[in-house]
Amino acid sequence: MPDNRGCFSAFIVNLLEEETTVEATQATPVKYDMEVVRWFTIAAAIYAVVGTLIGVYIASELAWPFLNFDLEYITFGRLRPLHTNAVIFAFGGCVLMATGFYMVQRTGSTKLWSNGLAWFTFWGWNLIIVSAVVTLPLGLTTGKEYAELEWPIDIAIAVVWLSFGLNHLMTVAIRKTSHIYVSNWFTMGMIVMITYLHVVNSLAIPVSMTNSFSVFTGVQDAMVQWWWGHNAVGFYLTGGFLGIMYYFVPKQAQRPVFSYRLSVLHFWALTFGYVWLGAHHLQYTALPDWTGSLGAAVSLAMIIPSWGGAMNGMMTLSGAWDKLRTDYILRFLVVALAFYAMSTFEGPVMSIKSVNALSHYTDWTVGHVHSGALGWMAMVAYGAMYHMIKKLWGVEKMYSESLVNVHFWLATIGTVVYVVAMWVSGIMQGLMWRDYDEYGTLTYTFVESVSAMHPYYAMRAVGGLIFHVGTLIALYNIVMTVSRAGATRSAGSVPAKA
Amino acid sequence: MTTNDWLGVFFVLVSAVGMVAVYFMVFRPANKATFESQRSMALDDEDHINVGEKR
Repeated sequence: MPDNRGCFSAFIVNLLEEETTVEATQATPVKYDMEVVRWFTIAAAIYAVVGTLIGVYIASELAWPFLNFDLEYITFGRLRPLHTNAVIFAFGGCVLMATGFYMVQRTGSTKLWSNGLAWFTFWGWNLIIVSAVVTLPLGLTTGKEYAELEWPIDIAIAVVWLSFGLNHLMTVAIRKTSHIYVSNWFTMGMIVMITYLHVVNSLAIPVSMTNSFSVFTGVQDAMVQWWWGHNAVGFYLTGGFLGIMYYFVPKQAQRPVFSYRLSVLHFWALTFGYVWLGAHHLQYTALPDWTGSLGAAVSLAMIIPSWGGAMNGMMTLSGAWDKLRTDYILRFLVVALAFYAMSTFEGPVMSIKSVNALSHYTDWTVGHVHSGALGWMAMVAYGAMYHMIKKLWGVEKMYSESLVNVHFWLATIGTVVYVVAMWVSGIMQGLMWRDYDEYGTLTYTFVESVSAMHPYYAMRAVGGLIFHVGTLIALYNIVMTVSRAGATRSAGSVPAKA
Repeated sequence: MTTNDWLGVFFVLVSAVGMVAVYFMVFRPANKATFESQRSMALDDEDHINVGEKR
């Protein structure tokens, strides 16, 4: 076990240290801009802890309402958007930007088009996260799900996102390789679509610095909102993270992609198909009936490319399945693929009108979202982060490989506990709400259904807590790995200086 | 049919034709070797191992 004295200071010093270039083994050395990737990676590990902590707290509030403490700033309604923004945009965003900048440089054999712009993206994105932390507990929101931030922050998001997009696209443009690897296609698809979706969905008329009204009204507003909402899932949480999968699964397994043709088809099928799905969130509403039917039909069709992609990732391990016994990082990536396959089957099934009649507005939806967010997104993110940390800090192993394994099991068990609790409570809710007695009146009052949820809400909080403990362990392991890398380098440099 | 409707029909048809074109391109046997030659691209970047990265 290494000496842990001064590990925090070593961690900070190592993070702040100027980037070094190793002697090139080729005629024309390539110097990557990886410092900003390191900062995004560390930020992601921190935001995962914060985001899941807020999630555990609000889950606990639902089970034990006294935790509101009569403070409006910490009520479920105010902290829930903070939780979603923290895990999706702070954690997920930092992971996507770290891996986006990492993959585009390595697969293009070139450094970033603009390192300065990348730093603008880093600080700008973090400033937006800070502004979310300030405004959301104060109740300053647009009320649009996953797009709660008010108009000045929306403009900042557009500017910073475009800086990321421009840098990525221009780095692709100046690449030294002839082919653009499929991961970069997924990232570029995400950049283009999220720009379009965010700008249109956020169109609003400001009435003050902290208040605005959407330019859309009524059912059009609902349609635009879910066109954004589902495509944020489709292009950001799915497409962006599939780009990560197609790079890091082959890297970690040391096997080429099972079928590159299938990966290309996966990309285009998702890109063409995903934009149609939003209406399935609005079944049995004022939206024209055919719109929901179309959303459900395309959702079902999307099972084919989604499962094709999941199988492609899984089959990349052909001949290397034994690595799962010893490679804990690979476990994250493979379990993520399993959850991806499960979620992309469950979602389309839930979009079918007869199923939706039972599942909509219930906790089943919450369970579905978290099987995707925890099981797919977070798992593949951590697999990529562990892989990158070893490369970025030039270490053979993490500080503790055993802790990676502990994290893996906590993440897996926490996700399963959470999702199962929500499945059971969601289906119970749906059944209780639709149950009639012999006189044709509702069997249960709404309050009775809320009361029946208590054990499952407690179980959900426990599942979330288990997952949260895993993120804490990951952060500790990452900090110690970075610190140890710095200490080793310092020790190694003394004789040279002498 | 409004302008919006016609635009919608146009984009739907273009998307559908585009998707069919992608399927044709990807599954055309003559293109198989070209596509699959990129299978190991993620692994090939190890040729540049650690260049510009932390020691």
